[in-house]
Amino acid sequence: MSLWRQLSRGLRTLTNRNAADQAIDDEIEHFLEESAAAFTAKGLPPEEARRAARLELGASLSAREEVRAYGWENRVDNLWADLRYAGRTLTGNPGFTAVSILTLALGIGASTAIFSVVDAVLLRSLPYPEPQQIVRIWEQAPNGHRINLADGNFDDFLRQNHTFAALAAYNERPASVSGGSEPARVKWSEVSSGFFGTFGVKPLRGRVFSPDESRTQGTPAVIVSFPFWQRYFGGADDLAPLHLKIEGKDYAVAGVMPEGFDYPAGNALWTPVELQSQSQSRSAHNWRGIGRIRAGVTLVQARQDLSVIARRIRAEYGKKVDLQDAAVLPLGKALVGDVQTALLTLLGAVGLLLLVACANVAGLLVARGAARRKELALRVALGAGRGRLLQQFLVESLALSLAGGTLGVLLAAWAVRLLPAILPANLPRQQGIVMNTGVLLFALAATFAVGAALGALAAWRAGRGNVQQALASGSRAYTGTGASQRLRGVVVTGEIAATLVILIAAGLLGRSFLRLVSTSPGFHAGNLITMQFSVPIETEQNGALGPDAVARQARLLERVSARLQALPGVESVGVSGAMPVAEGDNLAEGGFLILNGRKPPADFEEFQRMGQNSGQTGHALYAVAGEEYFRAMGIPLVRGRMFAAQDQADAQHVAVISEALARQRWPGQDPLGQVLEFGNMDGNLKPLTVVGLVGDVRARGLDAPPGPVVYVNYRQRGMNLNSTPTLLLRTAAPVKEVVQQARAIVQEMAPDVPLKFSTFEEQMSGWLADRRFLLLLVGLFAAAALSLAAIGIYGVVAFSVARRTQEIGIRVAMGARRGDILRLVVGEGARLAMLGAAIGIAASLLITRLLTTLLFGISSTDPVTFAGVALLLGLVAVLASYLPARRAMRLDPNSALRYE
Amino acid sequence: MDEQNTDLIQGTLDMLILKSLDLEPMHGFGIARRIEQVSRGVFKVNPGSLLTAFQRLERMGWLDSEWRQTENARKAKFYRLTQTGRKQLGVETANWNRRASAIARLLKAEG
Repeated sequence: MSLWRQLSRGLRTLTNRNAADQAIDDEIEHFLEESAAAFTAKGLPPEEARRAARLELGASLSAREEVRAYGWENRVDNLWADLRYAGRTLTGNPGFTAVSILTLALGIGASTAIFSVVDAVLLRSLPYPEPQQIVRIWEQAPNGHRINLADGNFDDFLRQNHTFAALAAYNERPASVSGGSEPARVKWSEVSSGFFGTFGVKPLRGRVFSPDESRTQGTPAVIVSFPFWQRYFGGADDLAPLHLKIEGKDYAVAGVMPEGFDYPAGNALWTPVELQSQSQSRSAHNWRGIGRIRAGVTLVQARQDLSVIARRIRAEYGKKVDLQDAAVLPLGKALVGDVQTALLTLLGAVGLLLLVACANVAGLLVARGAARRKELALRVALGAGRGRLLQQFLVESLALSLAGGTLGVLLAAWAVRLLPAILPANLPRQQGIVMNTGVLLFALAATFAVGAALGALAAWRAGRGNVQQALASGSRAYTGTGASQRLRGVVVTGEIAATLVILIAAGLLGRSFLRLVSTSPGFHAGNLITMQFSVPIETEQNGALGPDAVARQARLLERVSARLQALPGVESVGVSGAMPVAEGDNLAEGGFLILNGRKPPADFEEFQRMGQNSGQTGHALYAVAGEEYFRAMGIPLVRGRMFAAQDQADAQHVAVISEALARQRWPGQDPLGQVLEFGNMDGNLKPLTVVGLVGDVRARGLDAPPGPVVYVNYRQRGMNLNSTPTLLLRTAAPVKEVVQQARAIVQEMAPDVPLKFSTFEEQMSGWLADRRFLLLLVGLFAAAALSLAAIGIYGVVAFSVARRTQEIGIRVAMGARRGDILRLVVGEGARLAMLGAAIGIAASLLITRLLTTLLFGISSTDPVTFAGVALLLGLVAVLASYLPARRAMRLDPNSALRYE
Repeated sequence: MDEQNTDLIQGTLDMLILKSLDLEPMHGFGIARRIEQVSRGVFKVNPGSLLTAFQRLERMGWLDSEWRQTENARKAKFYRLTQTGRKQLGVETANWNRRASAIARLLKAEG
């Protein structure tokens, strides 16, 4: 009842302010009359009586105000008045307003854009039912590393666990596929039967595999991704007639997964695999594991469950297994992996930028607060309370920050649309980067936090002034007091410190990048066209390549190379099973035995037994190549010979090794003539004789030291399912022409084979892309922060010059030379910069340690970067102070003295 | 110190206004004069606070008001007690009496 009355009264007053005011005036008037009448009755003359009555009522104005000020509607009224007032003052200072709004828009926009990335990649849960229950599963090696699962061990995990609702193994690899609209090279995963159940996702069309699908006779089934279905089948509704050839084998399309299902990322084809029919190996780590933990079971319990099984396996098989334990990680975390550091670095940089932007606007506000002291003092004298002033400032700064935030959100929306073009391709989950409610809430929170902080600061400053002094002092007050100038100094110092941190981070990343790019990789990437030539790979039942398949593959490669070699401008055509750097972590590697006269192992069991003698084993990358590969890549022959015509499939199998392997395995000995047995990776147990020694290559990436490599001949060892057969063309002719001619030749010779042309430099730049992206963004932030800091320094110094016009005039009149004035003014900017830089360096020493994993060949406290950045900032500070200094030097002492 | 005095007066002012209106509806000045007269000049009410108090009490629903002709043919705003206002007067009077007698006891004990 009472609340209702409050509301209705208030609303009536608000909607009809005049009538309400009139009623109050009438009541006061009546009160006055009665009071005067009472005085008259006591014998005062009418005039006097009226005066006495008015005296008693107090200033009728203030009584009226008191009555009027009662009720909540007045607060609304005040707020409205404040808003109008804020609007007037902001539009009255368009320069100040524009700079502030743009600065805040930049800060809020950049942080919102980066937050949208962090939100999609790190924060949002996976788009599957109960995503927290989905985990990745590994074996843990004795050195603590997580390794993929071996067939037999996965089988034990699957059968013996008590905590998983579903457990599946899968592997992923590129595959050549035809039968759709055009031949293509896509990502293909073989998955065990629990795979789709783990995600709890049903196909959009068709069905998932039945548990024993891979054992059934006839054409095996394939499930395709939504994008693949759209692109290669035009989204055909009827799946029954759809067939595909994957690596030369026929598959019937059984289902289409819904659009959001993207695991492993970018995968196009899923086919069923029965692990039991594969090898029962306990040390061939071929399978990636995933699982769904039963509802109500924790991650720790699930891990303990698998640990128990792992211990049992170890107890049973002893040295035949190399697992120590099981490792379990939530899938979301596993996907994100090492991009977390990079993303948090970016978020940190952008947060600092926002801080710098705020500092700048705060500096402007403080300056303006100083200019407005008189107006504020007047309002205080007229009875405005602290609360009213605070409200006024908050309304003003919130208006600023809301305008900046709105513009910032627009900026962020634009940036988010551009992001896919510049984000590194290996960033997981980036298709989810959008401006959603969460991101908008972040922007809103940032906007309000900024507005509230700025308003509070301005009000706190204004509330500290001495009213009398402000009213009494003349125009001096207009240019601000020493105290407000000191506060601006503090703000700008903080701004410079934050800027320095961003600059140092950018500097460290930039220098790392330069070092990476200038590191000699051991080959020449220039003028190399790569042609991914995805010949169907015909494997046998155990996944190995038969001698006939190797021969067919080699013949085709040989014929195609010969035709390409004849193209004008082409100097050499190399054959390779995988490109260094470009394929980074996907390069094949493994252990080998050193035989040297011993009998080769007859089977895998024996191979493993012999491998336990560490004096006779080694570990290296396994690379399939042709003799022209080394010439095309510019990898020098150090000793011995390269592959040659006599190295045919039925001759002695040979290997060429890298210097790193020779140094590591045969220090001080001759590596030539050593005989190796490289696992049974390709099912071929023929020993390899080392015939040549070649230069080192940074195969895993420019930031990794060159490791040991064993090169084998493509005529003797075929390219298995894990390779990407590539022809390398070293050419002086224009890329476009060569690609055109090469495409025509290959399409004529092998029309079903998908081709992908690129240059080796492009492929490597893909590897460099994420570092370049990070560098680009942090560099942009650094540039933005630096210009903001310059504006901040300029503002403080220019203001100080204006305030000290008279003083400078006196100095000039007293005979100070221009140099003295320059020193005086620039010195002020330099002092701020030096103090800020000192704080910034101290902060950087603590913060840049977090960057260590992103740096290459440089320490996180690299003195050159620190000194260089501090110098740069100093220069900018001097430049920013020089402009106002020039004005000060030009001061005419006479007019300066008259300045007041 | 100023503030404390105002508080005290404000606490009692509401009660005094309600009490003045217990007998009959009155306009603002009438209430001021009634309080002054009955208290024999001890309470001289500041007209500003009085008029604000009317606003407050009206919002609480304790007073009603209407514009009426006075005996000398002037328009004035007359206030009267509402039902809840009368109840409130009872509550406040009881409270006051309890406090006053407690204070009286304290003073007696000390003396």
